[in-house]
Amino acid sequence: MFRAWTWAEQIDHPILITECVCNPVQSRSKMAELLFETYGVPSVAFGVDAAFSYKYNQQRGICQKDSLAICPGFTTTHVIPFVDGEPVYRGCCRTNIGGYHVTDNLKQLLSLKYPHHMARFTWEKIEDLKMEHCYIAPDYAVEARLFQKGSKEAEDKTRCWQLPWVPPPIEEPPSEEEIARKAAIKERQGQRLREMAEAKRSSRINELENQLHGLEFLLQQLAQVEEEEISSFLSKTGYVSKQEIESTLTKVSQSLRKAKGELKVEQAENEEKADSSTSDKYPLINVPDNMLTPEQLKEKKRQIFLKTTTEGRQRAKQKRFEEELEREKKTREDEERRLENPELYLEQMRTKYKELYEKVEQRKRLKTNGGHANGNSSGGVGRGERLNAAQKERMRLLTTAAFDRGKGEDNFGAKDEDWQLYKLMSKDNDDDDDGADEDEAELARVCSRLQAIDPTFVPKLEPTPSQAATTEVPRVRPLTKEDFQVVLGVERFRCPEILFHPNLVGIDQAGLDEMTEASIRRLVSKNEALEDRLTSSIFMTGGCSLFPGINERLEAGIRMLRPCGSPIKVARALDPVLDAWRGASAYAANLQFQQQTFSRVDYYEKGEDWLRRYQLRYTL
Amino acid sequence: MEAEVIKAELVLPTHMSFKRIQMYEKYPKGQSKVRWKQLKQILQAEICQNYSPDEPNYVNIDSPPSMQPCKRICDITGFEAPYHDPRTNLRYANTDVFKLVRSLPNEYVQRYLALRKAAVVLR
Repeated sequence: MFRAWTWAEQIDHPILITECVCNPVQSRSKMAELLFETYGVPSVAFGVDAAFSYKYNQQRGICQKDSLAICPGFTTTHVIPFVDGEPVYRGCCRTNIGGYHVTDNLKQLLSLKYPHHMARFTWEKIEDLKMEHCYIAPDYAVEARLFQKGSKEAEDKTRCWQLPWVPPPIEEPPSEEEIARKAAIKERQGQRLREMAEAKRSSRINELENQLHGLEFLLQQLAQVEEEEISSFLSKTGYVSKQEIESTLTKVSQSLRKAKGELKVEQAENEEKADSSTSDKYPLINVPDNMLTPEQLKEKKRQIFLKTTTEGRQRAKQKRFEEELEREKKTREDEERRLENPELYLEQMRTKYKELYEKVEQRKRLKTNGGHANGNSSGGVGRGERLNAAQKERMRLLTTAAFDRGKGEDNFGAKDEDWQLYKLMSKDNDDDDDGADEDEAELARVCSRLQAIDPTFVPKLEPTPSQAATTEVPRVRPLTKEDFQVVLGVERFRCPEILFHPNLVGIDQAGLDEMTEASIRRLVSKNEALEDRLTSSIFMTGGCSLFPGINERLEAGIRMLRPCGSPIKVARALDPVLDAWRGASAYAANLQFQQQTFSRVDYYEKGEDWLRRYQLRYTL
Repeated sequence: MEAEVIKAELVLPTHMSFKRIQMYEKYPKGQSKVRWKQLKQILQAEICQNYSPDEPNYVNIDSPPSMQPCKRICDITGFEAPYHDPRTNLRYANTDVFKLVRSLPNEYVQRYLALRKAAVVLR
């Protein structure tokens, strides 16, 4: 395009520019200045785009010469009454809501609902979604209730957008050969290890046997040697006395026997020996006190102590053993109950789990209520901390301590007992904790049991406030196709609803249907026939009028506001998006167009005030 | 400029013959920071002008506030919301939604409120 223009030396034709309704004079003058000064345009005309669209459609019979044009645009929506083919700006009405707000609303809602797919929700994509899927419900409340009930019609109206998703590569269960091969390798490794262990053991046995033989030989030699030469003989071998040799011998033979695998029997023997020797080990206990010397008394005390500790240990072991038996019995009974009626058992477990979970959750919530409160509300902070019984007690103590002491005098702390108050108030003494722990242990047990036997059970993980971006259960299960679906249900008709109720996005202005009423009122015509003519030809143009269902909704809305029986007919432009251009081009091609433009001379002579009052005449 | 760049029409040509005043004349140092006035400023200027109240101008033709009662819909689901949470100032439709409301982190609460311009703006 610019290449073509580089051939022309200057622009020598008038320019027709569309503007918004009641364009501020500053914008107009800046535009005129730009056109005249920088581009050297001979003459300029400003017109309203909705009016061009209306003219175009009027010539084609879509609307009459007395008509009400409604133009929901991109950032604003206008309602302009046309009388005799010319716009009456006195009755014009503008709300600052348009397609931009609808798209923005949809984008925000989807981003909040699917935070992990936020990158996919670009402006262009959301515009596409809006144009393809959004519609205007004939009655918002009825439609919303339909979706709330979750009826079949609501399902049909729900659209689902599947984002591209690659399923993770499933590991195939290893084939037969794989398993066989792996088993063979393991077998071989095991064999090797066993052989090594065997070799080690035999070598150790040999060593020990050698040692044993050596020691026995030594003993024999010792027996043959005479008394006097024992010490010299012994010093040669390195042992101090015969007992030592004998004890080493027993130790070696013992370890030999162990190495040969007679271990368990030994242990049992040892235990029995230990039991039977308790009475031997503590010989002094049964001897009454007055027969002992002080040293022996000390010895006796020590033996009593040892005996009680070993007995205590044995009793504990016994108790543990009994508990173990008890638990096994319980699980066995549980199993039997489960086998005879699996369904009922499952149900019971599930209800028990739910109850416990609720209790634990509630207690936790009560405890952390103070920290949970969001920062922006003033009433919530601190209130949660006082709800607990223990915490109430604490508050009471604090207040009584502060005020109860001397009437008007603060002598808290004069007496030492006062400081004991802090011990009572200590947060560590929360005895709610004990109850909570039991419940939590029970809960954990039930949870693990359910996980073992119920294939469909998913443990409910607690939602903590620190869980960053997601408001749903964290991914403990592999991602499925459904995780990558964006469901458009209520949003389909919730977002365009803001055209009729700007309050939904916080803009305190009238919606489309009320705007028509406001516009008619502003006309101040008191001519009912005119009003009827206006409403009987309501013309819709502008991109937003392409929403399905807008015509019916508008008709219903206007009927509510107009007197009963007035004729209402809503017609849409042939091409709401481009008719403004078509109308303007038809207008500019007209021979009379030149008379409607103003030139540079006019602009400079007549000044800004004249520019403000300048209006096109649309009927040529 | 190179011939390829001009042909590709990626960048505007520096000299356009149909223009009376070229860009490089207007902004000799190449700063070309076009400062457009914001709508607020334009409106301010409009208001200051003494127009007669009968004539329509940009500020005049604004729509009046709505006469219909405010429609209360749930901030999260979009259903009708008869209830209101005093702590977070969100509207909710039933108890399940309420649980969700209470479990939202503060950032999300503010974003939901910003949808209907009810967020706390610290400026």
